[in-house]
Amino acid sequence: MRFLSENSQNFVEVEMGNCLKGSTADDISLLRGADSTRDSSSSDQLASSPPYPEAAPVYYPSPNVSRTATQLTEEEQVKIAKRIGLIQHLPTGTYERCKKNRECVICMIEFMIGDAVRCLPCMHTYHVDCIDDWLMRSFTCPSCMEPVDAALLTTYETN
Amino acid sequence: MSSTAPSQRRLQKELMSFLKEPPPGVTVDSDLTGQDLSVWIVHMDGAPGTLYEGEKFQLQFKFGSKYPFDSPEVTFIGGNIPVHPHVYSNGHICLSILTEDWSPALSVQSVCLSIVSMLSSCKEKRRPPDNSFYVKTCNKNPKKTKWWYHDDSV
Repeated sequence: MRFLSENSQNFVEVEMGNCLKGSTADDISLLRGADSTRDSSSSDQLASSPPYPEAAPVYYPSPNVSRTATQLTEEEQVKIAKRIGLIQHLPTGTYERCKKNRECVICMIEFMIGDAVRCLPCMHTYHVDCIDDWLMRSFTCPSCMEPVDAALLTTYETN
Repeated sequence: MSSTAPSQRRLQKELMSFLKEPPPGVTVDSDLTGQDLSVWIVHMDGAPGTLYEGEKFQLQFKFGSKYPFDSPEVTFIGGNIPVHPHVYSNGHICLSILTEDWSPALSVQSVCLSIVSMLSSCKEKRRPPDNSFYVKTCNKNPKKTKWWYHDDSV
């Protein structure tokens, strides 16, 4: 596990060079296998992001399968729990100024400084609420279609 | 019509962008679409130099409240349904980005471009081999069909 936490520093630095203020604690805690201490600043920012309210929580064990919590099989529950865990470990931050990522391609709204954003291993950046809603359906980057879990592993291995 | 839902806000943006930069040979019926953003009627010309040159088609886009997380329902409508190996005579289109390869980064513009390109690369005008069976048995909503995407060449 040690090499992972060292490498995660590099990951965070890369990310800071782009659009994000690093939320270092978040990434490292995940890699050490500790309970994720979520960056408190990111939750403060959630209010400014476009909300996607759902009446009753609906889960998507596969892209075209939607179920409520009580309808999920045990296997699907595990899959979804794992996915929630992985999503929590993807770096978040607040949007600064960035020439490359000007708008969130999911809601098509321009990023405002201070928006809560999440950055995928492929460096594509989205509003936290927008991308989390998508990742719960499909664990791929909407822009490059790269599978996020595979990319996560590659990032840690190559750094 | 409340325009506060995220899907409506995004559709408003898409309509503006579509009207500003429509894909070649494609126009949106902005009178109809402006009234109800959840259904768009799109006019598409067969591209010059292709088997569909000179033909005119109509597409209907239906957007659910979960758009862009859910793909739109896209079908050819009207009197002229293109004769194409991936287009059923009821207007349903077998195109993977409309179901399992959908991404919220896609848009009406990019879907139109894909359909234009799907038509343009066609070498022989014919219906899908299972057309008559499919048309008799399918759901009205093409997204309910379990498509098999087996041919990327057309």
